[in-house]
Amino acid sequence: MTALLGTFGVGIALVGAVGGLTSLILALASHRSDRHSRALFWIAVMVSGCVVAVVAMEIALLTNNFSLAYVASNSTESTPVLYKFATLWGALEGSLLLWGFVLCIYVGAVSLSFRRHISDRLVAWALLTMLVVCVFFFGLLAGPADPFGTLSSPPVDGDGLNPLLRNHPLMAIHPVMLYFGYVGFTVPFSFAIAALVTGRLGEGWLLSIRIWTLIAWGSLSVGILLGAWWSYEVLGWGGYWAWDPVENASFLPWLTGTAFIHSVIVQERRGMLRVWNLSLLLATFALTIFGTFLTRSGVIESVHEFSASSLGPLLLGFFAAILVVSVALVGWRGDELRSPGSIDSPLSREGSFLANNLLFALFAFVVLLGTIFPLIVESINGDRLAVGRPYFDRMLLPIGIALLLAMGLAPLLTWRSTSRQVLAQRALGPAACGAAVMGVAVVIGAEGLGPVLGIGLGGFVIGAALRHLALACRRNGWRGLTGRSGGGMVAHVGVSLLAFGFISSTAFSEEGEFHLRPGDTGSVAGHQITFVELTDTMDGPNRVVRALIDVKGRGGYSPAITQYPTFGRPISTPSVATSFVDDVYLSLIAIPEEGSDLVVIRVLIEPLVAWIWVGGLVIGIGTLLAVIPLKGRRSSRREDAVSEKAL
Amino acid sequence: MRRYQRISWLLILIIVTAALVASVVADDGPATQGERAYEIKSTMLCPVCDGQNVLESNAPVAAAIRSQVDDLVAEGRSDGEIRAWMARQYGSDVNANPPRSGVGALVWILPVLAGVMAVGLLILAFGRWRSGREIEPSEEDIRIVQALREKN
Repeated sequence: MTALLGTFGVGIALVGAVGGLTSLILALASHRSDRHSRALFWIAVMVSGCVVAVVAMEIALLTNNFSLAYVASNSTESTPVLYKFATLWGALEGSLLLWGFVLCIYVGAVSLSFRRHISDRLVAWALLTMLVVCVFFFGLLAGPADPFGTLSSPPVDGDGLNPLLRNHPLMAIHPVMLYFGYVGFTVPFSFAIAALVTGRLGEGWLLSIRIWTLIAWGSLSVGILLGAWWSYEVLGWGGYWAWDPVENASFLPWLTGTAFIHSVIVQERRGMLRVWNLSLLLATFALTIFGTFLTRSGVIESVHEFSASSLGPLLLGFFAAILVVSVALVGWRGDELRSPGSIDSPLSREGSFLANNLLFALFAFVVLLGTIFPLIVESINGDRLAVGRPYFDRMLLPIGIALLLAMGLAPLLTWRSTSRQVLAQRALGPAACGAAVMGVAVVIGAEGLGPVLGIGLGGFVIGAALRHLALACRRNGWRGLTGRSGGGMVAHVGVSLLAFGFISSTAFSEEGEFHLRPGDTGSVAGHQITFVELTDTMDGPNRVVRALIDVKGRGGYSPAITQYPTFGRPISTPSVATSFVDDVYLSLIAIPEEGSDLVVIRVLIEPLVAWIWVGGLVIGIGTLLAVIPLKGRRSSRREDAVSEKAL
Repeated sequence: MRRYQRISWLLILIIVTAALVASVVADDGPATQGERAYEIKSTMLCPVCDGQNVLESNAPVAAAIRSQVDDLVAEGRSDGEIRAWMARQYGSDVNANPPRSGVGALVWILPVLAGVMAVGLLILAFGRWRSGREIEPSEEDIRIVQALREKN
């Protein structure tokens, strides 16, 4: 019954998407702008269909309806309710259903927010592009990735999700945030395509989608960091970023998206970099689809479990189509895109944005190359090689350092050109801040040129951002913190905090492995740990072995290791004694042998790692502040922007 | 004011230089065998666990590699020898660092090339923009300016 309801919902959503697309094509072809609004009806149909499908899947998951293949292979009766709910995005088909759902939310919200401008060809073309994407995804859900396939003889209990995906509440938030980011870039992409098609290449449409781009960017940033945090809290190896292909797949659109939200300012202000900005938007969306292909086609080995499927060729085909259409459109409009104006001096605000963009593009290139290089080499001569963390660390460190430098300089520079005197005067405070941070870091034991330089530049960035915020708040009160520049500077502070945490936890972490009996102690980097006792209990069908560890000055912590009956390898669950100075990360290496109380404990000391999460929070707050418009200006400006047909 | 600024910059320069020099001096590379083994392990991928290195993995084969690295370091083998030994034993993709020769070297070269090209393009663009600014005034421009001058 629920299966039928779900299939029906997906079918209705597909019909809605196709209907909306057809009605827009007909209206645009016949130049009947009064008919554009017919698409709104179909969009409403699509959204309702998708809601029905999602509700059906949730009902099936929460009521343990194992006649559905998806529920049977990804859920069990004993799964806690929260994770049953989150199983919707725990595996391939469900995650695509979530993709469709988030897409519906965006398309619905765009239609609502632009309903008064629906007769505008630009808006119609944007909706049309979005509906093409909808048709593709609902097409996948209706056929090759059907989440509502049934089993003729349902099992008594399901297999359950990989236990790693159901033991931490972050798993319920991280994918959703990530999808709001990923999918959100469909909106600016669609407007970019619409601008190219209609030839309305002025800045109007950019202003009208600014808020959507920021929401997508902020969600993607927070989503990626929540994933890193989950990895840190759950996987037990003490790291949060492994340059794994799936992580890279989410990082690539973030890099191009970040480049865009900066370089678009140059276009709004000076009318320049049009081709570049359009290309960045097109690339960002293409990269989200490419990432989906990489992670859902089984071409790349990864710890993230999305296996199998016939989706590979379809996603690759869709990616190729996006690429061809984008390149063709940019080529077609090439002449009209050439902007007048010039950048007078490298030492100017626009010069620093240009540097920022070059660095982000290079960064993205390295990440993309490193991710797909093993595939390329293997297809050329059959050699198997790996491109791992040492490669990314070495190649990206200089780019990262240069980015921090640009990040600190940019807010100090004026538009057009900046004289050396002005820069020397403005940069004094931030530079002093950077020097102080650097000095303190060296005094308390930081070493290595790269890390110390990075930390110092982080201080410089914070100094420059605070200077900007202080001046803005002197003029506008607390509203100085809002708007794109205020919120942007708050986000810069967040990035610096994140950089402190990232650099010190990578460069200055220490590690020890101890074989302990109850009462034994060990010490790493000034932290003393004492093994108190071992407990061995049954939690339902699962055997849980816990070691109670006393971390001196922090209290008791119990890393555990769990043997799930439905999953071969035992899963180690770390326990982390967090502080703003350093984390003591404890994990149990193996279940002790029968009758023995000797445990193997791995201890990692990671300085300042908590600041990564704090930095992520600050970036999120910065994005929200940037979305808050200065009072009363937003709506009027947007209407101007869209209704100015002359653009 | 000017002088105060100059002194401040000098002070900042001294602190930054001192900090950077200290950071390089303090960074003496792997001092003990344990540190050397740790660095090698962090560049060895666990062959059965998709991208985790042997330090991070709890798989038995990762533990085996860890102890083999310890043994080889204790025997006094060089880093290169140990890596080659591991590649023979577990396949070349046990190395997290791609090779620096053959097709594999491209992964190191291409980004550098891209960076050089990007900087080159930027210099070219600035050159064009700069030359674009120095437009020769046309005769009409000169006439208008002269007319205005005479008027005043």
